[in-house]
Amino acid sequence: MHGRQACNSTEHFSRRNFLQGVTGGALGMAGFSGMVQAESAKKLISQQKQVVVFWLSGGMSQLESWDPKPGTDYGGPFQAIPTSVPGVHISELLPHTAKQMHHLALVRGINIRENNHSKGSIFMQTGHKETPGFQYPYLGSAFSEQLNPAESPLPGYVCIGRGGSPKEAAFLGPRNVPLTLAEGKPPQNLVAPKGLSPEADRKRREFRSKLSKRFSLGRRSAETEIYNASYDQAAALMTQKDIFDFSKISKEDVARYGKGDFARNCLIARQMVESGITFTKVTHTNYDSHSENFNFHLEQLGEFDRPFATFMSDLADHGLLEHTLVICMCEFGRTPKINPRMGRDHWGTAWSIALGGCGIKGGAVVGKTNANGTKVIDREVDGGHLFHTYYRAVGLDPSEPFYHNGRPFEKANPKANPLTEILS
Amino acid sequence: MSLGVSHSVLADDSAPVEAPKPTSQAPEKRVSFFPQIDKLIAAGTADYEKLASPLADDSEFLRRITLDLTGMIPTTAQTRKFLADSNPEKRAQIIDQLLNSPEYARHMQRRFDVLMMRRLASKTVPPADWQAYLRQSFAENKPWNQLVQEIMEADGSDPKTRARARFYLDRAGDVNLITQDIGRVFLGADLECAQCHDHPEIDDFKMNDYYGISSFLIRSFVYTDKKKKTKPVIAEKAEGETKFEDIFEIRDKVSKGPRTIGMTIFGGEPLEEPTFKKGEEYVVAPKKDNSVRPVPKFSRRALLGKALTSPKNRRFARTSANRLWALMMGRGLIHPLQDDHSENPPSHPELLDLLTDQLVAMNFDIKAYLREIALSQTYQRTSRRTEQNTAADDSTFTHALLKPLHPAQFAWAVVQATGEADTQRISLKDKLTEDALNKRLAGYENKFVALFGGQPGSPPEEFLATIDQALFLSNDSMVMSLTTKKKGNLVDRLLLLPADNPAAIADELFVSVLTRKPTADEVQDVSGFLKDLKPAEKTAAFQELVWALVTSLEFRFNH
Repeated sequence: MHGRQACNSTEHFSRRNFLQGVTGGALGMAGFSGMVQAESAKKLISQQKQVVVFWLSGGMSQLESWDPKPGTDYGGPFQAIPTSVPGVHISELLPHTAKQMHHLALVRGINIRENNHSKGSIFMQTGHKETPGFQYPYLGSAFSEQLNPAESPLPGYVCIGRGGSPKEAAFLGPRNVPLTLAEGKPPQNLVAPKGLSPEADRKRREFRSKLSKRFSLGRRSAETEIYNASYDQAAALMTQKDIFDFSKISKEDVARYGKGDFARNCLIARQMVESGITFTKVTHTNYDSHSENFNFHLEQLGEFDRPFATFMSDLADHGLLEHTLVICMCEFGRTPKINPRMGRDHWGTAWSIALGGCGIKGGAVVGKTNANGTKVIDREVDGGHLFHTYYRAVGLDPSEPFYHNGRPFEKANPKANPLTEILS
Repeated sequence: MSLGVSHSVLADDSAPVEAPKPTSQAPEKRVSFFPQIDKLIAAGTADYEKLASPLADDSEFLRRITLDLTGMIPTTAQTRKFLADSNPEKRAQIIDQLLNSPEYARHMQRRFDVLMMRRLASKTVPPADWQAYLRQSFAENKPWNQLVQEIMEADGSDPKTRARARFYLDRAGDVNLITQDIGRVFLGADLECAQCHDHPEIDDFKMNDYYGISSFLIRSFVYTDKKKKTKPVIAEKAEGETKFEDIFEIRDKVSKGPRTIGMTIFGGEPLEEPTFKKGEEYVVAPKKDNSVRPVPKFSRRALLGKALTSPKNRRFARTSANRLWALMMGRGLIHPLQDDHSENPPSHPELLDLLTDQLVAMNFDIKAYLREIALSQTYQRTSRRTEQNTAADDSTFTHALLKPLHPAQFAWAVVQATGEADTQRISLKDKLTEDALNKRLAGYENKFVALFGGQPGSPPEEFLATIDQALFLSNDSMVMSLTTKKKGNLVDRLLLLPADNPAAIADELFVSVLTRKPTADEVQDVSGFLKDLKPAEKTAAFQELVWALVTSLEFRFNH
């Protein structure tokens, strides 16, 4: 792999090269007809798209970030500062991010009508309101399914930090379950046991597989499939173990991103993007500031701002942002009204997210809240609209449903539509 | 069969092992009801006889019953003995033998520990003490209602019985948490929603049900004498009521203000409580400096266990009958288990009624109850679907369901299959007891639980197979060490067999790991795998074969 110092051109970022290799190999071997080749190539163009979500769990305050209202009843103590985009101001708690504003668009008119962590989280991450007895796939699993080539030995969805649950894949199956790098550590046991040659490893796996196939005659179920698939995924991942080697991250980079778990996780996320991982979720927790909202956000955004901004600028500098969509979101915002504990409570009614990169118009702002931030007064949207926007940004058509047990399931709510104002 | 009833089934015949005396009422004194189980299961599905899979063969049955009742797979010797036994009563015999083994008590301890404590982190009661209490209770075959009552009555003040209070103490006396877990575990009711409002989709789960239970606990709290630094115990005040208001009613501005409810279990009459003159409510009155543990004359909490397990509360008996059924069958008659309400009726209502009545009639004798289920044809069917039932829903019980091995079961199955358990038995010699063997091998169980058991407080509800787990099973040094040749383990035994007899090798391999003889095809596969091996490559080849069988689908499930 390449040291960071050599990262002056985009050529060596392996995603495209890797895909070319896979395409040639797979198509060559299978001897597809010309038409199929064209189809596959078309599919692969969209498959080069990557996505990174920063999930700020607990609910970040829009007033201390993307939609500041200084000097109003509920504005709080922090000022708004100008950004790299003339006329767009964000909170002074995000000085580094402000300099990257030309890479980011803001959606300031979100109203999800949910004030519960779990419900808000489901709406924002699946694009659908919680449906009793049924679960839609989370964005990471959905994009893993649609953007990660079937032949890829790479996991489609990597989650860095807490919060990646196998349940996120819902009916999309084990291939799209998040691989969680807890505490920023690579998965354990990525290397075959000492003394076991690749040939012997292959042989024992073959034997395992043959035996298992016999057993599944008359006993096949989702569970038996999942179990078998986990071995295939593990074997594939072993061939890609270098992407989890974080020892190559340079001291200079560590210095540029800063200290702390979140900074480290942003560096890992950058390596995931460089390595061609389709979908990466980075979690940053502890935004649920029911008391001491301002101190909390001072501290939280102090951790968040520089690593996030450096990540955006690195991706832009290396040409990765062109095909990587970055979304910075949470389950809801926080109440404009400041409670007696100097806290802000859950607020799904009028809040913001930021997104940028692939398919997004940098510097664009859509939606508006009223003067003291208690209501959306222009272009009100919810999780459904946002999902349409994410799909369009990476060149996918959300109107084609998923099929599960022969039944169609909408990828994004058909009653909602994309925010074309911020699509490039 | 020469295994005595009180023998540890997983030790060698000759090994002296401790075992509790069976206290279960002798089966012959009771009229068996298992034929009715089969009748009522059949009545639940049109053409059931045509659809049903045949009975499992001896191998499949033996593996299943041993995993279900002891949490392990049988030893190689035990499998061989059972397969060779021509006694027509051998299935009934092995059921009794397993139910009276110390492994049964250990296995039930594990299942009920996870059920009741959800692998919550230890706060003030060492889990080992609590587990020992559970194990002892199952070994004695303590009636289930009595066990629950003991746990609900415990306050942790008596060092001898402190472990029982773990249910309360390691939940830090949190009334909401305890109420919800009582609902889930003992009453088949997921009441979480009812904490803040009547359940929006389930008519049966009301705030009154939630706070009726909370009402028993609302006056209780965790008390610690800070000066004397005593261990935390549960204490109780003489006053305090639940207070609740439906947040939907507040939102819609129709709330009539906060309500309260007395001690009630699911719609029953609130229990009476005596009143005392002011100043006379306490045996030990609380002090302002918090220096004594208050003891009221009347304890609400002390009534909870009795009220919960009372014959008047059929919900408890029904939930228990359903849970124990699911333990054996892999699915409840009411399913999911904590969704016992009118919109989720049982798949076989008459059977659930019968099982509930029988469990009450046998005074919650768990062993006798499990025995009846194990004797039924419904339990003993093969898990292989037939052409007729390929599309049949799991709720029809036309075939046995695949039950993923839970973490401890998986660990113990692996240490038995690879022969690590045999090696340890040999090494323990005359010190071999179930307990000693368990201590030797507990490290494996802990490792599997850490990787397969989910986060503390939330053991996985559904089967998961993650890449981490597959990497662990494929490459981890501890797993690999199980196939290193050691005295008496499987690889060691395979190496002792003549190299030119692949049939014998396949036989030992399959009987040891999969509890069955290999098919002709499988003998051939093994033969092919071992073909043209140089003597130096033999050990490695055996290790690979053992790995392949242990990681196969067939091994991962109790089928």
